[in-house]
Amino acid sequence: MSLFKPSLRWAYIAAAGFTIILIFWPARRVESQNFVFYLPSQRKLVPVETIGNAAYLPLLPVLNLMGQVSALQEKRGSLRLWFGAYQLRFRLGQRKVELNKETVMLPAPALHVHGQWMVPAAFLSIILPRLTGQAIIYKAGTGRAFIGNVRPISYTVALEKEPSGTRIEVNFTGKVAIQTASTNGKWVIFMGSASVEPLEPQISFQDPYVKSLDFDDQDGQPKLILSPAEPGMNFYPHLTNGGQTLIVDLVKPLLATGQPPALHAPAKPPVTVLPVVPPSARPVAAAPQAPRLPAIVLDAGHGGSDSGARSRDGILEKNLVAQIVGRVQSALEATKKYRVILTRPGDSDPTFEQRTLTANTSLPLVFLTFHAGELGDRSPVITVYTYQAGAAPAIATGAPLELFTRWDEAQQPEIGKSRQLALDVQQQLTRIQGAIVPQPQQAPVRDLRSIAAPAIAIEVGTLSPEEDAGSIASAPFQQQLAAAVAAAVEQFSPGGAPK
Amino acid sequence: MTKRTFILALIIIPILVISGFYLRALYRRTFFENRQRPEDEIRTQLTQEALQSEAGSQVAVSLYFPNYDTGELIQEAREMSLAPNAEDQIRQIVLALIQGSLQGHARSLPSSAALRAVFLASDGTAYLDFSSDVKRNFPVGIESETLAIYSVVDSLAANIPGVKRVKFLIQGQEVDTLDGHADLTSFYTPNLVANSPG
Repeated sequence: MSLFKPSLRWAYIAAAGFTIILIFWPARRVESQNFVFYLPSQRKLVPVETIGNAAYLPLLPVLNLMGQVSALQEKRGSLRLWFGAYQLRFRLGQRKVELNKETVMLPAPALHVHGQWMVPAAFLSIILPRLTGQAIIYKAGTGRAFIGNVRPISYTVALEKEPSGTRIEVNFTGKVAIQTASTNGKWVIFMGSASVEPLEPQISFQDPYVKSLDFDDQDGQPKLILSPAEPGMNFYPHLTNGGQTLIVDLVKPLLATGQPPALHAPAKPPVTVLPVVPPSARPVAAAPQAPRLPAIVLDAGHGGSDSGARSRDGILEKNLVAQIVGRVQSALEATKKYRVILTRPGDSDPTFEQRTLTANTSLPLVFLTFHAGELGDRSPVITVYTYQAGAAPAIATGAPLELFTRWDEAQQPEIGKSRQLALDVQQQLTRIQGAIVPQPQQAPVRDLRSIAAPAIAIEVGTLSPEEDAGSIASAPFQQQLAAAVAAAVEQFSPGGAPK
Repeated sequence: MTKRTFILALIIIPILVISGFYLRALYRRTFFENRQRPEDEIRTQLTQEALQSEAGSQVAVSLYFPNYDTGELIQEAREMSLAPNAEDQIRQIVLALIQGSLQGHARSLPSSAALRAVFLASDGTAYLDFSSDVKRNFPVGIESETLAIYSVVDSLAANIPGVKRVKFLIQGQEVDTLDGHADLTSFYTPNLVANSPG
């Protein structure tokens, strides 16, 4: 047939090639993270999406952070808005932006995704400074911008070998204040109000004691996360040089001859958290001379992409419970009787098994998980739960099974103590003015199922899309709650052991 | 190139290109997009139609709906035409819970929830496979999730003697929790003691 003449062969080949390319062209990659705006008096988070290879920000939330959009007009495929003295016009899929009478080019086109107009992050440095009249420092490829007179500090890292460990020296270009926490076998060094732009967000080491030092500010809190190369290391951080140099000593603990192992010593990850002060004389053998303090494990529910419940005024359960856990941690540490282990660092979302592993390997005195949810119209209601299995646990058949506790039934032998702890906590919580605290309940709470220690869940109130969060989001309420929980833990274990 | 060949080429090349677009869309729909929703909708529709056609005589059933203020389930009596088959009865009870209370009690399951499949094993375990929509518009929390679970378990156990315990699946998979709180890795036996009559 004449259709297959050689003269047309190129057309068939081109059409076939085009078809194959279309089929296998990779689907548009979409990722979502937070973008941090360091404003002069606060920090704000805006979700950033990676679409294709470009980072995109939602246009209106960004503009509303910086000022007020006075009017906006959306037509099919175009958006016109008025911001201060400027009129902007975006066209869908086009890089051109009309700024008053001028045309400005963005490196990637404006898009309309999930009902929102999205602009490439370069909008921050190309257009936004002109709109706001403020200096904006934004380095392409990073997830943060510094607005107005906020000047980011950076840092360099040096490693020094020690006889039984490693010294890490972090030199900041400005002054910082730090707080530390231990979680999931890592140490987290919070840098408070500092505005930090790391030169290298992830630094890996070839060192027998330290694996990596990572920077994270996805939840708006700049922090360094130090991962040790092996479990059981002791951690001594301190600031020198007027707050511009952080020295962290990672020291392998050596037990003195004849000294019994420390009480409640964890079998696996490191959990020693010392106050942010240098040891009086930095030891070569940094063996703890006194028994380690008993551990309390605090679990803030949800995290990362799992926000949990949300109130009408936008309070997310993951953030609310993280705040409360922070206050409970401070209250417990102030007693100087306990060390606190957190199951999730920052805004991460460990699995239930990871949280359980962190808890069980710490051999904790108690485990407390915090949640919020639908508790009816009465507010604030605080409910304390112990674990209730959905069905009777499996029946052990034969002697070998008696040697072991099934992982998914690890809470069962502890139920009696858990109920006592729940009663102590409920009793203390009733002292919070205005709070309704019913008798402890039983529920199949997943976080509690495999905890091999007295364990309770505390649901701190109602977060519902129909209501504002109200008092549960207020600092005074949370302080009272934290103090009550700390008092209950002391009541439960006055001498550092369950009564 | 003859005129005839040229015209044929003009017709065939656009067809090939359009086919390419179609195949690309089909490929993405197959491998990248969740194609469960239409299937779920069809399942739900078929289930409802099947149940209506098999309806027998009216019997009194007890359904349990949550009361978030007391943390209990409230019993609601209702006349229903139950199908003869136990698995269809399970579907009917769950659909009635999805439909919601007729006496103004709170919902235990969102109206968007769909029951994809039911299997009643010989040991009395009812396997309920919900669509992922069961998590949408759901009041999140320990209490609300616990009440939702026992609303289903107790309603089934109270009305269908063959149901001894219940296992929840979502999209055919075992999942950790309903929505971050209540354990769905376990089997659930009824907990009728904690309920109050309506």
